[in-house]
Amino acid sequence: MLAYIVRRVWQMVPTLFGVMLLLFVLFNWVGGDPSYILAGKNLSAEALAGIRQQLGLDLPLPQQFLIFVRQVLTLDFGTSWSTQQPVSALLHSRIGPSLLLTGSILLLGTVLAIGIAALVAYLRGSVTDRLVTLIATCAMSVSALVYIIAGQYWLAFKGGWFPIMGWSDSTLDNLLHYLPLPLLLGVIVGLAPDIRFYRSCFVEELGHDYVRTARAKGLSEPVIMLKHVLRNAMIPVVTSLMMSLPYLMMGAMLLETFFGIPGMGKEVVMAVERSDFPVIKAITIYIALATMLFNLLTDIVYKLIDPRVQLH
Amino acid sequence: MKPHALLATLAALVLLPAQAADMNKVLRVALNAPETGFDPAKVSDLYSSTVTENIFDPLVTYDYLARPAKLIPNTVSALPTISADGKVYTFRLKPGIHFAADPAFKGKKRELTAADYAYSIKRHLDPSIHSPWSFLVDGRFVGGNELVKAAGKGALNYDAPLEGIKVLDRYTLQLTLTATNFNYLPILAMPAFGAVAREVIEANRDNTNAHPVGTGPYLLKEWKPGSRIVLEANPGFRKLVFNATPGNDPVDKAVVQALQGKTLPQVGRIEISVIEEEQPLWLSFLNRQLDVSGIPQAALQSALVIDPKNPLKVRLAEQYARQGIQLQRQLLPEVTFHFFNMQDPVVGGDSKDKIALRRAIAMSFPVSEAIASIRRGQAVPMNYIVPPGVAGHNPAFRGAPKYDPAAANALLDRFGYRVGADGYRTRPDGKPLAIELACGTSSTDKQWNEYWQKTFDTLKIRLGFRQGKWNELSKANHQGKLQMWGMAWGADYPDGENFMQLLYGRNAGDSNAADFKNADYDRLFEASLKLPHGAERSQLYDAMNKIVVAQQPWIFGDIRMRSTLAHSYVKGLKLHPLLNTSWRYLDLQK
Repeated sequence: MLAYIVRRVWQMVPTLFGVMLLLFVLFNWVGGDPSYILAGKNLSAEALAGIRQQLGLDLPLPQQFLIFVRQVLTLDFGTSWSTQQPVSALLHSRIGPSLLLTGSILLLGTVLAIGIAALVAYLRGSVTDRLVTLIATCAMSVSALVYIIAGQYWLAFKGGWFPIMGWSDSTLDNLLHYLPLPLLLGVIVGLAPDIRFYRSCFVEELGHDYVRTARAKGLSEPVIMLKHVLRNAMIPVVTSLMMSLPYLMMGAMLLETFFGIPGMGKEVVMAVERSDFPVIKAITIYIALATMLFNLLTDIVYKLIDPRVQLH
Repeated sequence: MKPHALLATLAALVLLPAQAADMNKVLRVALNAPETGFDPAKVSDLYSSTVTENIFDPLVTYDYLARPAKLIPNTVSALPTISADGKVYTFRLKPGIHFAADPAFKGKKRELTAADYAYSIKRHLDPSIHSPWSFLVDGRFVGGNELVKAAGKGALNYDAPLEGIKVLDRYTLQLTLTATNFNYLPILAMPAFGAVAREVIEANRDNTNAHPVGTGPYLLKEWKPGSRIVLEANPGFRKLVFNATPGNDPVDKAVVQALQGKTLPQVGRIEISVIEEEQPLWLSFLNRQLDVSGIPQAALQSALVIDPKNPLKVRLAEQYARQGIQLQRQLLPEVTFHFFNMQDPVVGGDSKDKIALRRAIAMSFPVSEAIASIRRGQAVPMNYIVPPGVAGHNPAFRGAPKYDPAAANALLDRFGYRVGADGYRTRPDGKPLAIELACGTSSTDKQWNEYWQKTFDTLKIRLGFRQGKWNELSKANHQGKLQMWGMAWGADYPDGENFMQLLYGRNAGDSNAADFKNADYDRLFEASLKLPHGAERSQLYDAMNKIVVAQQPWIFGDIRMRSTLAHSYVKGLKLHPLLNTSWRYLDLQK
């Protein structure tokens, strides 16, 4: 196991280098020139050249890439080009609200989706199963934006059950007042596709011979579902969950924008709009690192769930 | 109301700190887009300036009530004396004004002096700062160019004597311009020219955007970039008592009734949220989570009752009027226009066929129809380079051509743009005629594009769209790769020069996005710089507008109307064409 982990970590190096190269090429190709934003109304050639020099954009591209490599090695991405704030401080202030929102959505959404999926899989072919499948299919065809706009209008404005938007420095205040509505809407948006996916995992497992054997042995249906089927169905579920974990850092751009949550989603959009390369670099590299680490973790969890899995 | 009927003055009765603001009064407002920071020499976006305006004090400011906008002393005891040749401005500061407390002052009270303004103005010259406002100071002060040249690409030597920016004594500042300019004072009223303290800047050299320390009514309490800004009343702010005599304007009367004799500011805390989406902004206002707000485009129809015959004649919808919500409106001091790249081989140049092509396109664009549809009627067509409310505007001038697609087609026929077998026109030399219009990617851009497509279809000219982010398109334009693009220019200061320079030849490749170079226009512009605002300068402006009408480097667009709402308990609100906010004048009486 240790040798496997060391080998996988070692393989991350060329992958990360590839990510950096791709990001660097993309930014220089289509990322836009930030000097035109920073110059304001003063678009003289001298002003633009001065800004490019200050940002290091006048350096040869290999030299700029080496600076990028150094930043990744030290995880110090300098300061934002647009606000001049340290990138680390910006991301530090943004990551908390994002994780609170997306983490809550993932947790609640997963519990609900697995529960409902297991139930309808157990009742497969029944009216309940068909109804849930039909509702889930319809719900999936509606844009997330519609849920957010309608939810904010009806539940917060018309119903008055939630604040329209806002965020506080107090986690408790956020949990009690500002988080519930975006959490609810985030869960609703993700619930339908999750139910369908998890249902198919459970249904597939329910058709296996070991389930018939368990029934023949006289095991109760709850025991079959919870002890046998659930465990075996967890492999694709865990894969899906683990793959989504790195993106928790990215936040939920629409929810953050509509509900005034100062998270990473808003920061990503701002950075792209302003061609703020230090912020884009930092977020991309952190997401890439997290993705690779969670991939590794997923493999290790496979082994824990199913001892038959061999890690090579 | 006649402008002179109103004499509104803010009297600094005693220059002693007198905290009058009630810290329990919290004003909640929103910005429509993220700010970038609060160093006056580094930021130029409207949203950042909205905040810096309340933290820093320029030498002069605007009377809150007077219209048209009128300059009044701010930290100076009187408006400056200006030499007869319009080159030397001398300011006398009021003693006893202090900066907000900061660790850089080591526990001592720090008085505002003439040296602070000298330092603050010089920062815009500093090559290491890259001030977005440097175009307002470059080459303007005697000795300035030499000092900048000596700095090279490094920091300016602030201690070197500079004849153009001279501190005569602790409270006296003398600015000497390189050329006659009677209209420089409005530039010094901009938030960018507010006074900063050198110690604070040097102590926070790496992050001046996050450490704004000024002498203004508010100080920065909290900043979460792109999300939330909190200002609190500056406890050391000088005593400033509102004292004005209203004219007949009911808004003025209400302001005076609410504020007369009160010490400013009244509101102790201002919470500013960045809300970019229209729905949360609008619902937050209706739900009283915001006290003051604009009206989002999508809500205009429900919020206002618009007279179909005169869309500018509006009243608040009954449901909101019943709640006592206040509506205030004003034309923005701005112009929107589409320009042609005058160096482009297809649409540029001053030959008659090229002028005819540009004229035909201008004649075929339905400005009024687009205003009615896209702006919901909340704009007026632009007819003069200088917009209303800005010194030099001529309301009688009609610069936009009459909408007449038939005449436009006839004009193209006459100048050899023939319709080919494919139904589209060719150039006079027989080559294919296709024009590319640069545009943004928003839904509003797409609405405008529909009108442009219709315009070009009417003229039987092929049209392509080049979509991109603003900085990408701006770069392409600098490289001469665009043919047409739309822009807006808001007044930095209320003088016509700020707009007329947009077509000055020496600004080509800079603020002159059209790359328009016309010797007659340039000569008239240079002559106008030497004149104060008045009939003589207006004649020159008229002549320059005629040149633009004749050459058609621009298609005149529109001037937008701003509508602002405030809840009934917000007192003292009056929109100002140049001040970004009214916060220091507001009171909350819930």
